[in-house]
Amino acid sequence: MSPRARTERSDAAASVAELELRAVLDAAVDAVIVIDSHGIIESFSKAAQKLFGYDSGDVVGRNVQMLMPEPFRSQHDGYLHSYLRTGEQRIIGKGREVVAQRRDGSLFPVFLSVGRVAKIDPPRFVGLISDITDRKRVVEALRRERDRAQAYLDLAEVMLLALDSNGTISLVNRKGCEILGWPEDELVGRNWFATCLPPELRAEVQAMFQRFFSGTASPTQYAEHEVLTRGGERKLIAWRNVVLRDERGLISGTLSSGEDVTDQRRAIEALQKSEQLLRDAQSIANLGNYEMRLPDGPSSWSMQMHSILGTDPAGGPLPIREYLARCVHADDRDKLAAAWERLTSDDAPLDIEYRIQRPDGSIRNVHSIARLAQDPEGSAHVVGTLHDMTERKHTQEEVRQTQQRLTQFARLSTMGEMAAGLAHEINQPLTAIANYSQALQRLLATPGAADPADVELALSQISAQALRAGEVIRRLRSFVKNREARTELIDPGRLIEELLVFAEPDARMNDIRIRVECAGNLPPVTCDPVQIQQVLLNLIRNAIDATNEAGSVNREIGLRASLDESGAVEVSVEDHGIGISPEVAENLGNPFYTTKSAGTGLGIAISRSILRAHGGRLAHRPTPDGGATVFFTLPATPGSEK
Amino acid sequence: MKEKPATVFVVDDDEAVRTSLRLLLKSVGLPVETYAAAQEFLDQFDPDRAGCLVLDIRMPGISGLELQQHLNDRHSIMPIVFITGHGDVPMAVEAMQAGAVDFIQKPFRDQDLIDRINRALEKDREMRSQLRERDEIRRRMSQLTPREREVLELVTQGKANKVIAGDLNVSQRTVEIHRARVMEKMGANSLAHLVRMVIEAHREGG
Repeated sequence: MSPRARTERSDAAASVAELELRAVLDAAVDAVIVIDSHGIIESFSKAAQKLFGYDSGDVVGRNVQMLMPEPFRSQHDGYLHSYLRTGEQRIIGKGREVVAQRRDGSLFPVFLSVGRVAKIDPPRFVGLISDITDRKRVVEALRRERDRAQAYLDLAEVMLLALDSNGTISLVNRKGCEILGWPEDELVGRNWFATCLPPELRAEVQAMFQRFFSGTASPTQYAEHEVLTRGGERKLIAWRNVVLRDERGLISGTLSSGEDVTDQRRAIEALQKSEQLLRDAQSIANLGNYEMRLPDGPSSWSMQMHSILGTDPAGGPLPIREYLARCVHADDRDKLAAAWERLTSDDAPLDIEYRIQRPDGSIRNVHSIARLAQDPEGSAHVVGTLHDMTERKHTQEEVRQTQQRLTQFARLSTMGEMAAGLAHEINQPLTAIANYSQALQRLLATPGAADPADVELALSQISAQALRAGEVIRRLRSFVKNREARTELIDPGRLIEELLVFAEPDARMNDIRIRVECAGNLPPVTCDPVQIQQVLLNLIRNAIDATNEAGSVNREIGLRASLDESGAVEVSVEDHGIGISPEVAENLGNPFYTTKSAGTGLGIAISRSILRAHGGRLAHRPTPDGGATVFFTLPATPGSEK
Repeated sequence: MKEKPATVFVVDDDEAVRTSLRLLLKSVGLPVETYAAAQEFLDQFDPDRAGCLVLDIRMPGISGLELQQHLNDRHSIMPIVFITGHGDVPMAVEAMQAGAVDFIQKPFRDQDLIDRINRALEKDREMRSQLRERDEIRRRMSQLTPREREVLELVTQGKANKVIAGDLNVSQRTVEIHRARVMEKMGANSLAHLVRMVIEAHREGG
């Protein structure tokens, strides 16, 4: 096509285009304004006239800045020049929200898009303006609505969390941010599963949500799992989930509310743990506890009560009357009933041991302690414990029996060492008796030969010596007999005197003298005399051995009883033998440690335990001029001082 | 020298045993003296008194064994019967080795003790008559002249008169006269008798 032809065609086309354009401009809903390169309005569409309140003739030929408020009005020429000079586009081809001014001076928001008319120089510009007042209002209302919703969300004391179908966090409220330790703007947009779940839970929880999203599973009513905070802490959250659907009814995400139950769960767990501990402790200790509102219920029993009593837990606690009749051993009922009466009537604390007879007939030894307590409402109730002592009783009994057998064994063993002396002690009166009776036989065989005084002497001596022998044997028997421990109040002097029956013959046979020194003002002591004599005899025996072993010239053993500075009675056995070496002292009292070839090593150990049981102690110190002094103390019996 | 009757001396620290022994021995007509302690007995001990000692082996202070030792030191000939207890056999053995005549365990049958005491008294009598005999021999020997003692010495060595005459450088007749004087002075009725008397005189003790 030739340039000319093209020009002709353009002219014709231009006039048609002009008409078409005007029609379009006038038909357009948006206002259309054409300006030249100086900003002078060349054309002002009908919509523009309506929008701004000007007639076309009022504005054509005038600067377009009249349609805008300050400060844009003063700046507009500048923009235009700046564009023409530099080509920098601020608005052309982009469109933006600006404020326009009507003829009446009122302002309104508009959306302005500007185009440059092509190939014309100097350039002209077309502006398209639409009133966005309504749109703005709607958006503002929406924003307010959203803010209000956000405020509600933020007010909620639970975490609210919305996920889209990829698991991306689309919404989280203030509480959620608080729990998770993230600022909202950093959290929104992150993947929930990767960010906030502990690694081991991710796959499982994600799979669960996938089933929600795909619609193959409905969100469970309630679920608990841990989340990971930004700081790495774990928190246990109780979740409720719903699915979100879009306008087409398709699942677009989930909305979850989560409550931080970490502390609550910890408290529950701590409570459960302490309850379990209590149950375990009661079971281990065979200890049950009970509570009973007075006068006769209701009551509550711990499980262990039933275990101890052998009753059916389903039967519940028994009223006291029924308890006495069904559980308590017949022989102990009165005792317990009386103690219960004192507790409930006189507020006297109950502390009693009695026997339980279980439904199967077996007997248990129990120890019960109970107190009266007041309810907040002021009504009285009993709180108490029931302790099954049966095993402990058995053990105690076994220990006691073993101890007794050992003590007995040691006593026999000591006595065995002293046997020669004791045999001598019995032989003396027997010899005398034999002599007297045989002399009598001879004297009486020859009529008239017997001096009546001799006969009388012989007869009285026979009975006296028989009694003497009998007494030795009686004491010996009572000493070596396997017997129950038995305490009595006894004067220390008498204790020593009786003991000398055994100790002196032994000493005499070893050419040793026992010198007794008993302070005059000694209070009586409460003890088992046989056991204390056993201790003393053992000490004397040791003193004799030590004297013999040392080949001592000083063959005297001091046996003293006195008051020590604490007011206890001290009994000491002082010898001049080999003394107690540090090595021996260290092992003294260890069972089976002995320095004697025929010793059992039990004497001192048993003496110690006897004294411990008496509340006394056994100790030793060197005798000032050589040898050892072994002594023990016994507490004086209070209120019995002379 | 006038003899006191043989006495049973009882030493025992146990009064009942002591007194009953006294009555028992009295019942068989034996003179008895009792002592409660060894020292008491030693204080009045007279070696010339005939009798025997009944001694408790165990006593405080000086024991029975120690008393025996004291008496041995004083060359006492008094026979000792020890009374021992049940477990005292080792001590009894020791006592026997030290010269005790016997021991008896308590308690005992009266006859057993009396038999032992009688044996002890018999021994004491024997010992004392032996002592008296030895004293007599020694007294007679002290009356011999020095020459007669030489002859006695050589005769009891079993030498013939002829050999003795040679040794003493005297005649055989002179030896025969001295020998007759010795037999007469010593009261010997045979050579064997004379030899026994010389042996007895040379024995230790007394």
